[in-house]
Amino acid sequence: MLDTLRAAVSYGEKLSADFVEARFDDLTLRTLRRINDTWKDIILKSRTGVGITCYYDATPGYSFTASEDQEDVYETVKRAYKMAKAASTAASLKLDFDERPAVKSRPSDTFTAKVHPRTQDLDFKMDLINRMVESAREVGKDIQNVTGRYGELFGKKIFTNSEGSDINWDFLVIDLPCRVTSKTSTGALVFGSERKAGTLGLEIYKQKGFTPEEIGKAAGKYAAEQITAKACPAGKFTALTDNDLTGVLAHESFGHLSEADFVVMGMSPLVDKIGSRLGTKHTTIIDGGVPNITKHGGLWIPYDDQGTKANMTTILDKGILRHYLQNRGTAKNLNQEPTSNCRAVHFGFIPIPRMTNTYFMPGDLTEEEALEQLGTGIYAIQTSGGQVEGDGSFLFKADRGYWVEQGKIQHPIREVSLSGNILQLLTQVEGATRDLLLWGTYFGGCGKDGQHPLPCGLGGPKLLIKDVTFGGQA
Amino acid sequence: MNYDKIKDTLLAEVDSGLKFAQSLDDAAEFELFLYYRSNSSVEIRQGVVKATDGIVAGNAVRAAKDQRVSFSSSSGITPDRIKRSVREAIASLKATSEKDNRFQGFCEPKPPGKEGKFAPEILELTTDDLVKFTLQIIGDMTKVNGRILAAADSGISWGGFAIGNTRGLQQASCSAYNAGSAYAMAIDGEERRTAWEALVTREKPLDVTGLGEKAATKARSLLGAKKLNQTTVLPTLWVPEAAASYILSSLQQSAKGNNVVEGLSPIAEKLGEKIAGSSFTLVDDGQNPLGIETEAIDAEGHPQKRTTIIKQGVLKQFLFDSYYGQIAGKPLTGNSSRAGGPFGSSLCYEYTPTIIGKNLEVSPGTKTEDELIASIDGQALLIVDVPIGIFHSDVATGEFSAVASSVFLIEKGEKKMPLEPISVAGSFYKGLEQLQGIGNNVVMTSLLVKTPSLLIDGFSVTG
Repeated sequence: MLDTLRAAVSYGEKLSADFVEARFDDLTLRTLRRINDTWKDIILKSRTGVGITCYYDATPGYSFTASEDQEDVYETVKRAYKMAKAASTAASLKLDFDERPAVKSRPSDTFTAKVHPRTQDLDFKMDLINRMVESAREVGKDIQNVTGRYGELFGKKIFTNSEGSDINWDFLVIDLPCRVTSKTSTGALVFGSERKAGTLGLEIYKQKGFTPEEIGKAAGKYAAEQITAKACPAGKFTALTDNDLTGVLAHESFGHLSEADFVVMGMSPLVDKIGSRLGTKHTTIIDGGVPNITKHGGLWIPYDDQGTKANMTTILDKGILRHYLQNRGTAKNLNQEPTSNCRAVHFGFIPIPRMTNTYFMPGDLTEEEALEQLGTGIYAIQTSGGQVEGDGSFLFKADRGYWVEQGKIQHPIREVSLSGNILQLLTQVEGATRDLLLWGTYFGGCGKDGQHPLPCGLGGPKLLIKDVTFGGQA
Repeated sequence: MNYDKIKDTLLAEVDSGLKFAQSLDDAAEFELFLYYRSNSSVEIRQGVVKATDGIVAGNAVRAAKDQRVSFSSSSGITPDRIKRSVREAIASLKATSEKDNRFQGFCEPKPPGKEGKFAPEILELTTDDLVKFTLQIIGDMTKVNGRILAAADSGISWGGFAIGNTRGLQQASCSAYNAGSAYAMAIDGEERRTAWEALVTREKPLDVTGLGEKAATKARSLLGAKKLNQTTVLPTLWVPEAAASYILSSLQQSAKGNNVVEGLSPIAEKLGEKIAGSSFTLVDDGQNPLGIETEAIDAEGHPQKRTTIIKQGVLKQFLFDSYYGQIAGKPLTGNSSRAGGPFGSSLCYEYTPTIIGKNLEVSPGTKTEDELIASIDGQALLIVDVPIGIFHSDVATGEFSAVASSVFLIEKGEKKMPLEPISVAGSFYKGLEQLQGIGNNVVMTSLLVKTPSLLIDGFSVTG
């Protein structure tokens, strides 16, 4: 396939494109879903296609095709070139970039799983779900619904460009989530969930803490606990966010604002803030495609979709803004280095600045010390997502939580949501625990500019934050 | 492939694909879905341009035998890719003994409904036209006084899909539309306020006049926001775009037959009961000629229909595809979708059929928005855009907590100053019961829901 891509690059250059990038995805996606006793989904997807970016006068035009045929790929190059040329007349801000040495990948760039999902049959994976669902039922109470899912995404990503880069690596993410819905005595529905996901081999599900039985039981237990949970009080409280929720905070709030396309366009509140103090000394935020996934978890993304080799970027260093998340054009415009953050959700989209693994660095507190320091407030746990606006306003949903008084957990609470402005919130972080956990999922993912769901890693320690606004019962 | 050839071309491939599948296993039941769509767009953000033009093409096969059901999809609609999906679907069937005991077969053939209308001129629009539309939106935004950051896009989408199954169903449908949007960020010192306006239509070629100015003016009007400084319970007036997000997060979810059957809908056992104010009526019209989601058939080949979900506050009907309709013993409503709707995927063929509202419509009330505001004695909130996080609500609990970041205070019957972001929380369904008024200002929103403004009492607010 690399020859086809190289020919496409040459063809684009012959058409007078200033620079051409050609990439090929050959990915396999497997989804399994059991709802109660019914196998609802046994799905296999083959996602194969070519994406071409032609640059003309520092303006990109993009096109794509599901075909691997050389003539169809040439036609795709023509369309991309035509779009770039037409668009260049309207561009008043051009994001040119400097030539760099060609990038060559090595086989060792690909994560090696002990038990790769492609080596295991369907029944092996369905058994994971069966064990998880049955375990959830053992522990749950007044169960209305148990849904167990398994997802895997793996395969080749090949890239070349006008500089002669030659990149060929394999992406991998697996995911095993369980969700239990229970009914309260008043008929209201509550839920609990648990999962283990990331760039992992299937051997993870034999490891203590991550077996299907333990995942299922945790989901059942959390749902049972929510049956008697009280409504979250509305108002401002000190919060302890668990590792999952801390990750969403890093990703949804600060991560998106640091994406350099928003910065170049002046739309991020982080414009002109490099070197400025934005947070307390407890706030260090990293993004990178090659974290220590064996130790902490997350996703393995050694190259972005513009051919830049991954590194680990310190965005915020003990509260000081240091770097944005760049593609090649935004990096030159902002006088920084490309950060391997130019990603596309699939071949049907042009790559844009996106996150890889985004997380807060740990502090020095134990969980007990953090609760003690919390005093009275809310321990917010797990997450079903969040959202941030261009002005820094955010909302995060915690799946569950606890009301804490004098450092002791009192009772569970439900419908826990945190809101505020991220730049304000970073000045309210008073501490972090010493544990660092990352996760990246197959189900769900990041959405930006219509590109959803892009697998992203996120995480951090538990964060202690004062004066957080919680939505809830007035 | 030209627009006029899409249906015939796809149907021919469907027929060949089904014959190939049956040649491999004549005891199995098969369904084949083919999708072909051209999407072009030009986006300009603060002078940075991004232009895309491509064909999304793909196929999906479902195979069933002895109540084992599998699904396989692949990119492309060439015979070799279709055969690949067929082989994978059969391989998955053979690889497992796990059954779906509720599966009763694929969709039975029925006469199709009608395709939506569209202006043929939309197909003639070029990249240069898209550049022109987008520049016009940006230009209109810059006419508004004050510091405005401007982003806009415009696009054309046309294409079709075909479905066939071994029960004799073979149908296809085509559609086309064009769309534009304007995103404005008004800045004053450290304060930033945003607004978004969108237009999506199949009725005529894009006319973006006024779109940019409307977004920029709205963003400007939100500057100078004050703190509410209260945690209390207040009435909230949701303008059409915000009201659409309310409907999508609540009733669109709980009216889906899958959530009803799986025990996840809070209104599952309330058919025939009054669940909303007496003036509230909600229909899903999959045959509205101008509805963006209008097609002759749904994603399983069943004719799309008009379904009354709530009539004058009383819950009348849920939305079903063939799978959940058969389980529930209810008539199919033509609501099967493959990742369609406002949050759909461009590679929709990769998704199994699920249920979605096609063109949801809330019937208008009698009061203007100004009259609704005037009807409020004390304080209330005017929510003028989609609250942050409202789509993260959980269908099962029916509860929500979101942040209204584009919001004004209403006091003694008058719209007052803009407010800083406010957390709004409560139960969607208690809110519907406490509906205080419905506007007469029905609008087709960018979320593809037609709705007027809704005045709802009883939500907790803090900010």
